[in-house]
Amino acid sequence: MAESTLAQAVEGVPSLRGLFVTAMPDCLLFDAWMRPNEAWSGEDVASYFGDLVRANREGLKALRAWSAEMQVTIESTELLLILRELSSDFVVGFIFEHATPLGMVRLHVKRVLLLLQDILPRIQPEERPRAIRIAEFLTRYAPDTHTAMQRAALRSGIALDLLRTPENLAPNQIELFERSVCDILGLESLNL
Amino acid sequence: MESLKINALRRYLLEQDLMFLAGQPVVYHCHHFNLFLDQTIDDALGTQASFHLRMSAAREFSGHLLSAVCEHAEARTPPERLSLAAQLFKLMGHGSLDFDADSSGGTAHGSHLHYGFAWLEKYGKQVRRKHPADAFAAGFAAAALEIAYDLSPGSLAGVEHECVALRAPQCRIQVERDPAPESGGAVIGERESESVVGAPEDGLFEDVIHPIVLGLKEFTAGVHGDERGLVQAFGVFVTMHLCGYYNRISYDAVAHIEARAPQSVGVLEELLRESGHVCVFNTFGGILLSPEWEGLVGAPTNDPAKTLAWCIAIGRALGMGHWTIAEFEPERRLVVRTSSSYESVYYRTRHGLAPRPVEYLFQGAALAMAQLVHRVDWESNPQLTAEYYKRLFKGGVPWRAEQTKSLVRGDSVSEVVVTKVSV
Repeated sequence: MAESTLAQAVEGVPSLRGLFVTAMPDCLLFDAWMRPNEAWSGEDVASYFGDLVRANREGLKALRAWSAEMQVTIESTELLLILRELSSDFVVGFIFEHATPLGMVRLHVKRVLLLLQDILPRIQPEERPRAIRIAEFLTRYAPDTHTAMQRAALRSGIALDLLRTPENLAPNQIELFERSVCDILGLESLNL
Repeated sequence: MESLKINALRRYLLEQDLMFLAGQPVVYHCHHFNLFLDQTIDDALGTQASFHLRMSAAREFSGHLLSAVCEHAEARTPPERLSLAAQLFKLMGHGSLDFDADSSGGTAHGSHLHYGFAWLEKYGKQVRRKHPADAFAAGFAAAALEIAYDLSPGSLAGVEHECVALRAPQCRIQVERDPAPESGGAVIGERESESVVGAPEDGLFEDVIHPIVLGLKEFTAGVHGDERGLVQAFGVFVTMHLCGYYNRISYDAVAHIEARAPQSVGVLEELLRESGHVCVFNTFGGILLSPEWEGLVGAPTNDPAKTLAWCIAIGRALGMGHWTIAEFEPERRLVVRTSSSYESVYYRTRHGLAPRPVEYLFQGAALAMAQLVHRVDWESNPQLTAEYYKRLFKGGVPWRAEQTKSLVRGDSVSEVVVTKVSV
């Protein structure tokens, strides 16, 4: 997207510190706008936002309460975060100053989403190989991230060099890799 | 029977900086090292086999220690010996154990057990654990009952059924007859250590290092577990730990992987080195930033030579061996040597000579010292948190360590050369 497009969409929104657009289902950063003084890493933030919305969607489905209009609101001491799905292609994350009144937030979120609906393209989701998504999930959530791939290699018995190019893994190796990642993270299965 | 004074049982091998408690090799290590090493054994063997190996190693070397301590304290009856075991466990910083057992076994109730408690503190908010953490306490409890009731070593086994790392309120260890009792390997004590170490040599900055080592040894003589049985100092949980435990679990795991999955030996060794790296970075760093250090030595500084000399002194005082600085060119190259290491003593005594250098702690420690010396801005008073560690090493380590001489290969010293590389 042109550099100025997001900036135009958020123009006149007071208290907005940043806006992140995450492309789904791979949770990759599509575009971002931040105030000049913010030093967030767009890539890191976008992937967590994607995971968060996906987990929320599954949770609401389990409660039989899912709707396309769902919104995740998180209030922390530092900021107010709103996450919304925009079609099935994007998740939009709004980061406001903590003290921003919720009524004003809802109003601005609604207005910006309408603008984004026109601006953002329709994308043909091209799902990347599962093994790549497993590797990305591991490095996002494993403790001591810098050793996560070595741990998965040791647990799975797959050579580390091969794990570093996960797209080359054979189906049985992907299964072993995924099992080892589940064990490292203490999960029954991966929500990818 | 008098209450136990751990300092009266502690001594160092002259000029070798190897530490012994009642004649058994011990060393101070932090929870970062302990948790990472145990986790690596889990990764290598799977959780069940790992727990069994770790319990067995703890049982074997705790048995040697408890036997010597009971002898020294002239503890004759089972209640006296069990009381002594619980005191010792606590003083060494491993938590509290309360025995409800007889000669056939029973239960050991644990609170603030080092591994489970520290795991929950460090990882509990990030990962759900599915298996108990306190194999060391389970092995120690089994050994305590064996010694208390004069049973054959290796005849009882400890299994942890409840663990705080699994969100139980307390830990509960069941001790029962081991269906496959094991006999121990070669004894490793002061005499065996003396026969493996090389002639001690001096390195650079000895005039700085030597007095600090003396001061730190005096300081650590007064360090022991608090009312919980934990030593919480320098931003970490510290334990006085059995070298035999660390060595047996490391080298048995390597042997297992060599036999079953040789393609994974390299990655296992890399993770064993990382245990040393994470230990030195966090514990040495925590010590350098502590008010105790400032009182004893002075405020941390960005002078690389000074920081390096201080790190070497810390390593010696903690009982890791007679580390020396053979060469140092700031920002380029560091050569660390030692005439002694707890790893080489064990390996040579149990396995003989090795075809390649296998002193993983020493290798990881040398690499970590290069990071502490060059990459930490000490004068800004940094917080050495997990986030800081992650940030610093996310893009890799811009230094490479290579062990060029090794006591386990028959050299007179062990030597690691650390050089700067671009990443």
